Amino acid sequence: MSSHAATGHIDHHHDHTTSTGIPNKKLLWWAFLASDCMFFGALISTHMVYRLNPPPGNAVPTQVFNIELTSFSTFILLMSSLLMALAVNAIQRGNLKSTRTMLLGTMFFGCIFLGGQVYEFEHFVHAKKMTLSNSIFGSTFYTLTGTHGTHVAIGVLLLGMMYVRTFKPANGGGLFKNFAHLLAIGVTFGVAFIWFVPGLIEVIYGLPIGDLMRRAAIPLAVGAAGLLSLFWFGRSRGAVEFGEKNAIDVEAIGLYWHFVDIVWIIIFTAVYLLEYL
Amino acid sequence: MSAPATAPAAAGHHEPSKFHFYIQVAMILSVVTGIEVVLVYLPLAKWFVVTTLLVLSAGKFMAVIFYFMHLRWDKVFCTILFFIGLVLAGGTMWALLHIFGADASKPLSAAALELARLAVA
Repeated sequence: MSSHAATGHIDHHHDHTTSTGIPNKKLLWWAFLASDCMFFGALISTHMVYRLNPPPGNAVPTQVFNIELTSFSTFILLMSSLLMALAVNAIQRGNLKSTRTMLLGTMFFGCIFLGGQVYEFEHFVHAKKMTLSNSIFGSTFYTLTGTHGTHVAIGVLLLGMMYVRTFKPANGGGLFKNFAHLLAIGVTFGVAFIWFVPGLIEVIYGLPIGDLMRRAAIPLAVGAAGLLSLFWFGRSRGAVEFGEKNAIDVEAIGLYWHFVDIVWIIIFTAVYLLEYL
Repeated sequence: MSAPATAPAAAGHHEPSKFHFYIQVAMILSVVTGIEVVLVYLPLAKWFVVTTLLVLSAGKFMAVIFYFMHLRWDKVFCTILFFIGLVLAGGTMWALLHIFGADASKPLSAAALELARLAVA
Protein backbone atom coordinates (compact mmCIF):
# COMPACT_ATOMS: atom_id res chain seq x y z
CA MET A 1 0.00 0.00 0.00
CA SER A 2 1.31 3.53 -0.70
CA SER A 3 2.58 5.36 2.35
CA HIS A 4 0.02 7.44 4.24
CA ALA A 5 1.41 10.29 6.33
CA ALA A 6 -0.34 11.42 9.47
CA THR A 7 -1.61 14.55 7.68
CA GLY A 8 -3.61 12.45 5.13
CA HIS A 9 -1.44 12.90 2.04
CA ILE A 10 -0.92 9.67 0.14
CA ASP A 11 2.30 9.30 -1.87
CA HIS A 12 1.14 7.22 -4.84
CA HIS A 13 4.61 6.59 -6.20
CA HIS A 14 6.60 5.57 -3.13
CA ASP A 15 6.10 3.44 -0.03
CA HIS A 16 8.54 4.27 2.74
CA THR A 17 7.49 1.16 4.70
CA THR A 18 9.04 -1.28 2.18
CA SER A 19 12.77 -1.91 1.76
CA THR A 20 12.67 -0.96 -1.94
CA GLY A 21 10.51 2.13 -1.45
CA ILE A 22 8.09 0.64 -3.96
CA PRO A 23 4.59 -0.58 -2.96
CA ASN A 24 4.64 -4.39 -2.89
CA LYS A 25 1.62 -4.72 -5.18
CA LYS A 26 3.31 -2.56 -7.80
CA LEU A 27 6.57 -4.54 -7.56
CA LEU A 28 4.66 -7.80 -7.98
CA TRP A 29 2.89 -6.56 -11.10
CA TRP A 30 6.08 -5.30 -12.71
CA ALA A 31 7.73 -8.67 -12.05
CA PHE A 32 4.74 -10.46 -13.57
CA LEU A 33 4.76 -8.19 -16.64
CA ALA A 34 8.49 -8.83 -17.11
CA SER A 35 7.71 -12.55 -17.24
CA ASP A 36 4.80 -11.99 -19.61
CA CYS A 37 7.24 -10.20 -21.95
CA MET A 38 9.08 -13.47 -22.35
CA PHE A 39 5.81 -15.32 -22.97
CA PHE A 40 4.82 -13.03 -25.83
CA GLY A 41 8.41 -12.87 -27.05
CA ALA A 42 8.33 -16.62 -27.64
CA LEU A 43 4.99 -16.47 -29.47
CA ILE A 44 6.03 -13.53 -31.65
CA SER A 45 9.35 -15.25 -32.43
CA THR A 46 7.56 -18.41 -33.53
CA HIS A 47 5.33 -16.44 -35.86
CA MET A 48 8.25 -14.51 -37.33
CA VAL A 49 10.40 -17.64 -37.77
CA TYR A 50 7.68 -19.19 -39.96
CA ARG A 51 7.06 -15.94 -41.83
CA LEU A 52 10.73 -15.43 -42.68
CA ASN A 53 11.04 -19.04 -43.87
CA PRO A 54 7.52 -20.05 -44.88
CA PRO A 55 6.87 -23.69 -45.67
CA PRO A 56 5.25 -24.42 -49.05
CA GLY A 57 1.47 -24.09 -49.28
CA ASN A 58 1.27 -21.38 -46.62
CA ALA A 59 -1.54 -18.80 -46.60
CA VAL A 60 -0.67 -15.39 -48.09
CA PRO A 61 -1.24 -12.80 -45.34
CA THR A 62 -1.98 -9.81 -47.58
CA GLN A 63 -4.83 -11.78 -49.18
CA VAL A 64 -6.26 -12.54 -45.76
CA PHE A 65 -5.77 -9.40 -43.65
CA ASN A 66 -8.08 -6.40 -43.47
CA ILE A 67 -5.62 -3.64 -42.56
CA GLU A 68 -8.30 -0.95 -42.22
CA LEU A 69 -10.12 -2.88 -39.51
CA THR A 70 -6.87 -3.78 -37.74
CA SER A 71 -5.68 -0.15 -37.83
CA PHE A 72 -9.00 0.90 -36.31
CA SER A 73 -8.61 -1.78 -33.61
CA THR A 74 -5.12 -0.49 -32.84
CA PHE A 75 -6.44 3.06 -32.47
CA ILE A 76 -9.23 1.80 -30.19
CA LEU A 77 -6.77 -0.04 -27.94
CA LEU A 78 -4.57 3.08 -27.72
CA MET A 79 -7.58 5.15 -26.67
CA SER A 80 -8.51 2.52 -24.08
CA SER A 81 -4.99 2.92 -22.67
CA LEU A 82 -5.62 6.67 -22.43
CA LEU A 83 -8.88 6.10 -20.54
CA MET A 84 -7.11 3.70 -18.18
CA ALA A 85 -4.41 6.30 -17.45
CA LEU A 86 -7.16 8.86 -16.80
CA ALA A 87 -8.91 6.39 -14.42
CA VAL A 88 -5.71 6.04 -12.40
CA ASN A 89 -5.23 9.82 -12.46
CA ALA A 90 -8.80 10.29 -11.21
CA ILE A 91 -8.58 7.85 -8.28
CA GLN A 92 -5.21 9.31 -7.23
CA ARG A 93 -7.11 12.57 -6.81
CA GLY A 94 -10.00 10.90 -4.98
CA ASN A 95 -12.49 11.50 -7.83
CA LEU A 96 -14.62 8.33 -7.64
CA LYS A 97 -17.24 9.31 -10.23
CA SER A 98 -14.59 10.04 -12.84
CA THR A 99 -12.76 6.82 -11.97
CA ARG A 100 -15.93 4.78 -12.59
CA THR A 101 -16.60 6.54 -15.90
CA MET A 102 -13.06 5.98 -17.13
CA LEU A 103 -13.08 2.32 -16.02
CA LEU A 104 -16.33 1.76 -17.92
CA GLY A 105 -14.89 3.56 -20.93
CA THR A 106 -11.76 1.39 -20.84
CA MET A 107 -13.89 -1.75 -20.69
CA PHE A 108 -16.11 -0.51 -23.52
CA PHE A 109 -13.14 0.22 -25.78
CA GLY A 110 -11.58 -3.12 -24.83
CA CYS A 111 -14.80 -4.83 -25.93
CA ILE A 112 -14.73 -2.97 -29.25
CA PHE A 113 -11.21 -4.30 -29.78
CA LEU A 114 -12.26 -7.83 -28.81
CA GLY A 115 -15.30 -7.60 -31.07
CA GLY A 116 -13.00 -6.67 -33.93
CA GLN A 117 -10.87 -9.70 -33.17
CA VAL A 118 -13.94 -11.97 -33.06
CA TYR A 119 -15.12 -10.62 -36.43
CA GLU A 120 -11.60 -10.99 -37.86
CA PHE A 121 -11.26 -14.62 -36.72
CA GLU A 122 -14.75 -15.51 -37.99
CA HIS A 123 -14.02 -13.87 -41.35
CA PHE A 124 -10.61 -15.56 -41.71
CA VAL A 125 -12.07 -19.00 -40.92
CA HIS A 126 -15.27 -18.83 -42.94
CA ALA A 127 -14.45 -16.52 -45.86
CA LYS A 128 -10.68 -16.99 -46.21
CA LYS A 129 -10.64 -20.66 -45.13
CA MET A 130 -7.66 -20.12 -42.85
CA THR A 131 -7.97 -22.19 -39.68
CA LEU A 132 -5.75 -23.03 -36.69
CA SER A 133 -4.76 -26.35 -38.22
CA ASN A 134 -4.74 -26.07 -42.02
CA SER A 135 -1.60 -23.94 -42.34
CA ILE A 136 1.48 -23.00 -40.33
CA PHE A 137 0.57 -19.33 -40.76
CA GLY A 138 -2.89 -19.98 -39.30
CA SER A 139 -1.40 -21.87 -36.34
CA THR A 140 1.10 -19.18 -35.39
CA PHE A 141 -1.24 -16.28 -36.16
CA TYR A 142 -4.24 -17.55 -34.18
CA THR A 143 -2.06 -18.70 -31.26
CA LEU A 144 -0.36 -15.31 -31.00
CA THR A 145 -3.36 -13.03 -31.53
CA GLY A 146 -5.68 -15.41 -29.67
CA THR A 147 -3.39 -15.36 -26.64
CA HIS A 148 -3.29 -11.58 -26.80
CA GLY A 149 -7.09 -11.48 -27.13
CA THR A 150 -7.40 -13.72 -24.08
CA HIS A 151 -5.20 -11.30 -22.15
CA VAL A 152 -7.49 -8.43 -23.21
CA ALA A 153 -10.57 -10.40 -22.15
CA ILE A 154 -9.03 -11.13 -18.74
CA GLY A 155 -8.21 -7.43 -18.49
CA VAL A 156 -11.84 -6.51 -19.17
CA LEU A 157 -12.92 -8.97 -16.47
CA LEU A 158 -10.44 -7.48 -13.97
CA LEU A 159 -11.63 -3.97 -14.83
CA GLY A 160 -15.22 -5.10 -14.32
CA MET A 161 -14.33 -6.48 -10.90
CA MET A 162 -12.57 -3.22 -10.00
CA TYR A 163 -15.58 -1.22 -11.21
CA VAL A 164 -17.99 -3.29 -9.08
CA ARG A 165 -15.63 -2.94 -6.11
CA THR A 166 -16.00 0.86 -6.24
CA PHE A 167 -19.63 0.36 -5.15
CA LYS A 168 -18.85 -1.67 -2.01
CA PRO A 169 -20.74 0.02 0.86
CA ALA A 170 -18.69 1.63 3.64
CA ASN A 171 -20.84 -0.03 6.31
CA GLY A 172 -20.25 -3.55 4.99
CA GLY A 173 -22.61 -6.03 3.33
CA GLY A 174 -23.75 -5.85 -0.28
CA LEU A 175 -22.03 -9.11 -1.25
CA PHE A 176 -25.00 -10.51 -3.18
CA LYS A 177 -25.62 -7.18 -4.89
CA ASN A 178 -21.96 -6.99 -5.92
CA PHE A 179 -22.10 -10.49 -7.41
CA ALA A 180 -25.28 -9.57 -9.30
CA HIS A 181 -23.61 -6.36 -10.47
CA LEU A 182 -20.57 -8.32 -11.70
CA LEU A 183 -22.87 -10.76 -13.49
CA ALA A 184 -24.64 -7.88 -15.23
CA ILE A 185 -21.25 -6.47 -16.29
CA GLY A 186 -20.17 -9.88 -17.60
CA VAL A 187 -23.38 -10.40 -19.55
CA THR A 188 -23.42 -6.88 -21.04
CA PHE A 189 -19.81 -6.79 -22.12
CA GLY A 190 -19.79 -10.44 -23.17
CA VAL A 191 -22.72 -9.84 -25.51
CA ALA A 192 -21.00 -6.65 -26.70
CA PHE A 193 -17.84 -8.31 -27.94
CA ILE A 194 -19.27 -11.65 -29.06
CA TRP A 195 -22.39 -10.47 -30.90
CA PHE A 196 -22.91 -6.71 -30.92
CA VAL A 197 -19.53 -5.40 -32.16
CA PRO A 198 -18.88 -8.19 -34.71
CA GLY A 199 -22.47 -7.79 -35.91
CA LEU A 200 -22.04 -4.05 -36.25
CA ILE A 201 -18.86 -4.57 -38.29
CA GLU A 202 -20.71 -7.00 -40.57
CA VAL A 203 -23.48 -4.44 -41.05
CA ILE A 204 -20.87 -1.83 -41.97
CA TYR A 205 -19.50 -4.27 -44.53
CA GLY A 206 -22.90 -4.82 -46.07
CA LEU A 207 -24.90 -7.30 -44.01
CA PRO A 208 -28.59 -6.23 -43.81
CA ILE A 209 -29.59 -5.27 -40.27
CA GLY A 210 -32.57 -7.63 -40.55
CA ASP A 211 -30.20 -10.60 -41.02
CA LEU A 212 -28.24 -9.59 -37.96
CA MET A 213 -31.41 -9.29 -35.88
CA ARG A 214 -32.63 -12.71 -37.07
CA ARG A 215 -29.29 -14.29 -36.16
CA ALA A 216 -28.56 -12.55 -32.87
CA ALA A 217 -31.88 -11.22 -31.55
CA ILE A 218 -31.84 -13.17 -28.30
CA PRO A 219 -28.25 -12.42 -27.25
CA LEU A 220 -28.67 -8.74 -28.17
CA ALA A 221 -31.88 -8.56 -26.14
CA VAL A 222 -30.11 -10.16 -23.17
CA GLY A 223 -27.25 -7.69 -23.59
CA ALA A 224 -29.68 -4.77 -23.70
CA ALA A 225 -31.32 -6.00 -20.49
CA GLY A 226 -27.86 -6.26 -18.91
CA LEU A 227 -27.06 -2.72 -20.00
CA LEU A 228 -30.27 -1.39 -18.46
CA SER A 229 -29.52 -3.21 -15.22
CA LEU A 230 -26.12 -1.51 -15.12
CA PHE A 231 -27.87 1.87 -14.90
CA TRP A 232 -29.83 0.56 -11.92
CA PHE A 233 -26.76 -0.92 -10.22
CA GLY A 234 -24.74 2.22 -10.94
CA ARG A 235 -27.03 4.63 -9.08
CA SER A 236 -25.62 6.29 -5.99
CA ARG A 237 -26.33 4.23 -2.85
CA GLY A 238 -24.59 6.19 -0.10
CA ALA A 239 -21.04 6.07 1.24
CA VAL A 240 -18.65 3.53 -0.24
CA GLU A 241 -15.37 2.25 1.17
CA PHE A 242 -13.45 2.71 -2.11
CA GLY A 243 -11.35 5.84 -2.33
CA GLU A 244 -7.94 7.39 -2.88
CA LYS A 245 -6.33 4.77 -0.61
CA ASN A 246 -7.25 2.14 -3.24
CA ALA A 247 -5.44 3.97 -6.04
CA ILE A 248 -2.66 1.35 -5.98
CA ASP A 249 -5.18 -1.33 -6.96
CA VAL A 250 -6.48 0.66 -9.92
CA GLU A 251 -2.89 1.42 -10.92
CA ALA A 252 -2.03 -2.30 -10.80
CA ILE A 253 -4.88 -3.16 -13.18
CA GLY A 254 -3.76 -0.21 -15.27
CA LEU A 255 -0.27 -1.66 -15.57
CA TYR A 256 -1.73 -4.92 -16.91
CA TRP A 257 -3.95 -3.05 -19.38
CA HIS A 258 -1.12 -0.87 -20.70
CA PHE A 259 1.06 -3.97 -21.08
CA VAL A 260 -1.62 -5.58 -23.22
CA ASP A 261 -1.58 -2.41 -25.33
CA ILE A 262 2.20 -2.37 -25.81
CA VAL A 263 2.16 -6.04 -26.83
CA TRP A 264 -0.40 -5.14 -29.50
CA ILE A 265 1.83 -2.28 -30.69
CA ILE A 266 4.53 -4.89 -31.40
CA ILE A 267 2.09 -7.42 -32.89
CA PHE A 268 0.50 -4.81 -35.18
CA THR A 269 3.88 -3.86 -36.63
CA ALA A 270 5.50 -7.30 -36.80
CA VAL A 271 2.49 -9.39 -37.84
CA TYR A 272 0.39 -7.00 -39.92
CA LEU A 273 2.29 -3.97 -41.22
CA LEU A 274 5.51 -5.72 -42.26
CA GLU A 275 3.50 -8.06 -44.54
CA TYR A 276 2.60 -5.14 -46.80
CA LEU A 277 6.21 -4.29 -47.76
CA MET B 1 1.80 0.09 8.96
CA SER B 2 2.63 3.61 10.12
CA ALA B 3 4.73 5.87 7.97
CA PRO B 4 8.13 7.06 9.30
CA ALA B 5 8.59 10.64 10.59
CA THR B 6 10.48 11.57 7.43
CA ALA B 7 7.44 10.96 5.15
CA PRO B 8 6.21 14.03 3.23
CA ALA B 9 3.63 16.04 5.13
CA ALA B 10 1.43 18.06 2.75
CA ALA B 11 -2.08 18.03 4.22
CA GLY B 12 -4.71 17.19 1.52
CA HIS B 13 -2.27 18.00 -1.28
CA HIS B 14 -2.63 16.21 -4.59
CA GLU B 15 0.08 16.27 -7.18
CA PRO B 16 -0.85 18.24 -10.33
CA SER B 17 -3.29 16.41 -12.59
CA LYS B 18 -1.76 14.82 -15.66
CA PHE B 19 -5.13 14.80 -17.48
CA HIS B 20 -4.14 17.10 -20.35
CA PHE B 21 -0.68 15.55 -20.59
CA TYR B 22 -2.15 12.07 -21.09
CA ILE B 23 -4.51 13.38 -23.78
CA GLN B 24 -1.54 14.92 -25.59
CA VAL B 25 0.45 11.67 -25.40
CA ALA B 26 -2.54 9.71 -26.72
CA MET B 27 -2.96 12.11 -29.65
CA ILE B 28 0.73 11.77 -30.52
CA LEU B 29 0.45 7.97 -30.35
CA SER B 30 -2.58 8.07 -32.68
CA VAL B 31 -0.76 10.26 -35.19
CA VAL B 32 2.27 7.95 -35.11
CA THR B 33 0.00 4.94 -35.71
CA GLY B 34 -1.51 6.72 -38.71
CA ILE B 35 1.95 7.47 -40.06
CA GLU B 36 2.91 3.79 -39.71
CA VAL B 37 -0.17 2.64 -41.67
CA VAL B 38 0.43 5.16 -44.47
CA LEU B 39 4.15 4.40 -44.61
CA VAL B 40 3.73 0.78 -45.76
CA TYR B 41 1.85 1.95 -48.84
CA LEU B 42 4.48 4.50 -49.92
CA PRO B 43 6.94 3.54 -52.69
CA LEU B 44 10.02 3.80 -50.47
CA ALA B 45 13.04 1.53 -49.99
CA LYS B 46 12.16 -1.56 -47.93
CA TRP B 47 15.07 -1.04 -45.49
CA PHE B 48 13.91 2.52 -44.83
CA VAL B 49 10.30 1.50 -44.17
CA VAL B 50 11.29 -1.38 -41.88
CA THR B 51 13.70 0.79 -39.90
CA THR B 52 11.15 3.62 -39.59
CA LEU B 53 8.41 1.22 -38.49
CA LEU B 54 10.68 -0.31 -35.86
CA VAL B 55 11.74 3.11 -34.58
CA LEU B 56 8.15 4.42 -34.47
CA SER B 57 6.93 1.27 -32.71
CA ALA B 58 9.76 1.49 -30.20
CA GLY B 59 8.86 5.12 -29.60
CA LYS B 60 5.21 4.26 -28.96
CA PHE B 61 6.29 1.40 -26.70
CA MET B 62 8.52 3.71 -24.62
CA ALA B 63 5.86 6.43 -24.44
CA VAL B 64 3.30 3.98 -23.05
CA ILE B 65 5.63 2.41 -20.49
CA PHE B 66 7.20 5.65 -19.28
CA TYR B 67 4.14 7.88 -19.27
CA PHE B 68 0.97 5.76 -19.07
CA MET B 69 2.64 3.12 -16.89
CA HIS B 70 4.28 5.83 -14.74
CA LEU B 71 7.86 4.51 -14.99
CA ARG B 72 8.97 8.11 -15.52
CA TRP B 73 7.80 9.03 -11.99
CA ASP B 74 8.39 5.77 -10.13
CA LYS B 75 11.54 4.37 -8.57
CA VAL B 76 14.14 3.30 -11.14
CA PHE B 77 14.05 -0.30 -9.85
CA CYS B 78 10.66 -0.79 -11.55
CA THR B 79 12.27 0.18 -14.86
CA ILE B 80 15.19 -2.17 -14.25
CA LEU B 81 12.86 -5.03 -13.35
CA PHE B 82 10.75 -4.63 -16.48
CA PHE B 83 13.76 -4.20 -18.74
CA ILE B 84 15.29 -7.42 -17.42
CA GLY B 85 12.27 -9.27 -18.81
CA LEU B 86 12.33 -7.21 -21.98
CA VAL B 87 16.02 -7.87 -22.63
CA LEU B 88 15.57 -11.60 -21.97
CA ALA B 89 12.59 -11.67 -24.36
CA GLY B 90 14.50 -9.72 -27.00
CA GLY B 91 17.53 -11.95 -26.63
CA THR B 92 15.37 -15.06 -26.96
CA MET B 93 13.76 -13.65 -30.11
CA TRP B 94 17.15 -12.83 -31.61
CA ALA B 95 18.46 -16.31 -30.82
CA LEU B 96 15.40 -18.06 -32.25
CA LEU B 97 15.44 -16.01 -35.43
CA HIS B 98 19.11 -16.84 -35.96
CA ILE B 99 18.71 -20.52 -35.17
CA PHE B 100 15.78 -20.96 -37.50
CA GLY B 101 17.30 -18.68 -40.12
CA ALA B 102 20.28 -21.03 -40.57
CA ASP B 103 20.30 -22.93 -43.87
CA ALA B 104 19.93 -26.30 -42.17
CA SER B 105 16.74 -25.10 -40.42
CA LYS B 106 14.93 -23.70 -43.43
CA PRO B 107 11.87 -25.65 -44.62
CA LEU B 108 12.34 -27.57 -47.85
CA SER B 109 10.65 -26.31 -50.99
CA ALA B 110 7.71 -28.31 -52.35
CA ALA B 111 9.91 -30.03 -54.95
CA ALA B 112 12.57 -30.98 -52.37
CA LEU B 113 9.86 -32.28 -50.01
CA GLU B 114 8.49 -34.52 -52.79
CA LEU B 115 11.99 -35.83 -53.59
CA ALA B 116 12.62 -36.58 -49.92
CA ARG B 117 9.28 -38.40 -49.67
CA LEU B 118 10.06 -40.50 -52.75
CA ALA B 119 13.53 -41.31 -51.39
CA VAL B 120 12.02 -42.61 -48.15
CA ALA B 121 9.37 -44.59 -50.03
